[in-house]
Amino acid sequence: MLRVDRRLLQNVDWALLATALFITALSVLSMWNLGHARGGAALAWRQLSWVAIGLVALLVVASVDYRSLVRIAPALYAVGVALLLVVFVLGRTVSGARRWIHLGPITIQPSELFKLIFVLILAWALASRPGEPLSRGAMIGLLALLGVPFLLVVRQPDLGTALVLIPVTVAVLVGVGVRLRVLGALALAGLAALPLGWFALKPYQRDRVLVYLDPFRDPLGTAYNVIQAKIAIGSGQLLGKGVNGATQSRLAFLPERHTDFIFAVFAEMWGFVGCLVLIVAYGLLVLRGFDIAASTRDPRGRVLALGVTAVFAAQTLINMGMVTGLLPVVGIPLPLMSYGGSSMVASLMGLGLLLSIRMRQFR
Amino acid sequence: MELGRRPGDQRDGWSRRVLALAVTTTIAFAGLLGQLWYLQALEGGRLQEMSEKNRIRIRPVAAPRGILFDRNGLPLVDNRPAFTLSFIPREMEDRDTVLARVSVLLKIPLPELREPLDRVPPDSFRPVRVRRGLSLEDVTKVEERKLELPGVIVEVEPERVYPTSTFAAHLLGYVREVSEEQLRQGRYRRGDMVGQTGLERLLDDYLRGKEGGERIEVDALGRQVKVVKREEPNPGAQVITTIDRRIQEAAERAMAGHAGAVVVMDPRNGDVLAMTSSPAFALDQLTGNLSRDDWRRLVNDSMTPLMNRALQSQYAPGSVFKVVVAAAGLQEGSLTPMDHVNCTGEFHLGAWTFKDWKEGGHGRVDLRSAIVHSCNVFFYQAGLKVGPEAIVRYARAFGLGAPTGTGLGSEKAGMIPFVDLKRRRGRRVWQAGNTVNISIGQGPVLVTPMQVARMMSAVANGGILWKPRLVERVEEPDGTLAYSTASKMSGHVDLSPIVWAFLRSALVGVVNDGGTGAAARLPGVLIAGKTGTAQSISKSDSARGQDHAWFASFAPAEDPQVVVVVLVERGGKGGQVAAPIARQIYQAIFMEKVAMVSLGGES
Repeated sequence: MLRVDRRLLQNVDWALLATALFITALSVLSMWNLGHARGGAALAWRQLSWVAIGLVALLVVASVDYRSLVRIAPALYAVGVALLLVVFVLGRTVSGARRWIHLGPITIQPSELFKLIFVLILAWALASRPGEPLSRGAMIGLLALLGVPFLLVVRQPDLGTALVLIPVTVAVLVGVGVRLRVLGALALAGLAALPLGWFALKPYQRDRVLVYLDPFRDPLGTAYNVIQAKIAIGSGQLLGKGVNGATQSRLAFLPERHTDFIFAVFAEMWGFVGCLVLIVAYGLLVLRGFDIAASTRDPRGRVLALGVTAVFAAQTLINMGMVTGLLPVVGIPLPLMSYGGSSMVASLMGLGLLLSIRMRQFR
Repeated sequence: MELGRRPGDQRDGWSRRVLALAVTTTIAFAGLLGQLWYLQALEGGRLQEMSEKNRIRIRPVAAPRGILFDRNGLPLVDNRPAFTLSFIPREMEDRDTVLARVSVLLKIPLPELREPLDRVPPDSFRPVRVRRGLSLEDVTKVEERKLELPGVIVEVEPERVYPTSTFAAHLLGYVREVSEEQLRQGRYRRGDMVGQTGLERLLDDYLRGKEGGERIEVDALGRQVKVVKREEPNPGAQVITTIDRRIQEAAERAMAGHAGAVVVMDPRNGDVLAMTSSPAFALDQLTGNLSRDDWRRLVNDSMTPLMNRALQSQYAPGSVFKVVVAAAGLQEGSLTPMDHVNCTGEFHLGAWTFKDWKEGGHGRVDLRSAIVHSCNVFFYQAGLKVGPEAIVRYARAFGLGAPTGTGLGSEKAGMIPFVDLKRRRGRRVWQAGNTVNISIGQGPVLVTPMQVARMMSAVANGGILWKPRLVERVEEPDGTLAYSTASKMSGHVDLSPIVWAFLRSALVGVVNDGGTGAAARLPGVLIAGKTGTAQSISKSDSARGQDHAWFASFAPAEDPQVVVVVLVERGGKGGQVAAPIARQIYQAIFMEKVAMVSLGGES
């Protein structure tokens, strides 16, 4: 089925893979620590199985030639958009948002997978015809490719996932050499469209946006998370409180602690030193991704690698920024750390793409 | 990292730009480390202390729902404090044991306790309301065993109380915990009380108010030590309706024991003074803990108590519709007051025979006496003279066939047929028999009591079709105006003053000159009205044959102040059943006048 070329194996980026495995190990460990307090080890076991499934997915993605994936990107994109639509029809509602599809015992979150599909379509649109300059028409087509899924995801509502698509698009456009003037014009157009969107919102949706901007408007809701997360992180101090001392997380003052706010749990347990190690690991992973993007000659590989890296970097920075109180809370998982199958599998598949590009660089 | 510097590679634009992005990302990561340093090293000590004292819990405080008043400031509903059993999922260490204890203590089936809990995340800190309306005895039981029941609390929430359990049930509507369907819209939080029907639903945004919150400090056992901070809830706004509680009560009293509807309207401005539908459902039952069986019984009740018959039921108007036919004929010139017919009790059209309700007929009748005595045979012929198109046009002008726009849920439009005079496949689509039928308000003509009230108002006031007004204004608790409505016209019926005068005089005759509505006659008040007896479309044989009784009226005829429309389902003849009910209502409305007349002896 898949012929494995020895030259491919020689070029596996072991450093990248090792760093990723290190982070997933920390994730499973954190689930174990959390689960230990209440509910047993089920959380850790389930997360571990997601890691296993994700690694299989990573191997499959890495062994396929990424160029053929770029070639079928339009089809994947269509399927992806269709899945986002399906969410509206069959979607399962959890705390007011429709983001999940029920498939027997498991639920999948199409918006997580869609981030990768989006990068593939970017590579297809920007790099499958070499040498062609970026025309105005191409730019408009690109915005349409972004706009349709963006609106669908916003409506779910999953503002976090939607917001990741924007920095990714910007990063890729910067990479392919779009002039700053054009980017500026796009940014202005985006800003101009904001008030229009505001009027289209219902009053209660506006309330939510205002809470994003000013958490103290709703001290029972979002602000509670932010305040508790800050206390958790800060009380970890330099060396952390260890597993048993982490009262914030253990005594469940912190909501969403195993998903979006996992970083606060980690910070409370392992302190600044632990955070430093984790952030360096994420930094290494991201810089490795940029390195792969920079050293690739195939234009498709370039855009793809840059896009995947940007997805990874944007998610990590937005999540950590929101947990540490630098950014408003928008609900985004921390790649490779947060509990959840779709996020874990999608993150590992992204890394599989990076590995695949690296392996085929020199042929 | 060596970015892009590989042997043989030249540092092209691509690598430079990727490098720039990498540097930007690195700076962002460094910024993040800076924030962590700030939180963990610089602020760490302070936050560490806070985490040790972190015994602050947050409890929502429910806002009292706004009160609905009648037009004179009498309350239609009120609030009283009620006890609610709630669970705080995150504080329930050993959930199964606690649930079992509560179940035994309060004799509540275990699944009923577990179900609401299963719908929220297990670490939620918002109380989950499990059972409302706890008795004082139950509250004591829970409070006594507080230590054995971690995470179980008794909340005090404002709850609706009603003057009587069925008072204005359809108009006010019931309030119930938000349904799964409504939760999906995302406007409510689990456990919110939401107006589900009637005015409670229409004005829910105003009535609901805004929930407050309490930060309380608890000890290691979760017991409250003190309230750290309390954010008072914003109570809901007060609604001043157009309803007159006295008239509403009189209408309900008069309808006791009958199925049907009453609408009382002020023809001068379209204010709805009373609206009742019977049988009514018990508001307090629907607001409280309604068991699934009781709910099913209510929904499947063959008397459909949940339906608001004033707006959601459609009936043939019967002879009430003759007012429309007469108006159309007089205005169009196809009828004159001098027309007369010798009524033998039967009317022949081709092979068909149409009967009058009166065996043997009315003898010689003119237009006025045809209205007064509700002669069908006269109107069969009048209808053919006026023609179906004019009848239908005037029916629509009188607002029939279109919802009146009260804003209350699922109001029916009624039905006025589309007259198609063309031939289809050699056959007439609209038969002359159809015209004969609709001339006496049978056949494909359906109306709601509210539509009839609006039509009668137009007759009373000379043609103004009002949009029924139920809400006068909404006031915030501090007295500022949140919303107010003026009377709105939704149409105008253009008839010459002579035609209006004729119609009013004929309707006075119905009640006062020995006509079909004589049973409504009330000394001291000149009542004008029209009776109607509508054949019911019944599904079962047992109910067949019983006709719906109408009485549509206004008073005082010389200066109309109220319109009273009564419909009694399967009541029989309008004059015998509906008219006396209207009389009772008028008696209550014009109490002083009627009393003066009877004091002064028979007039």
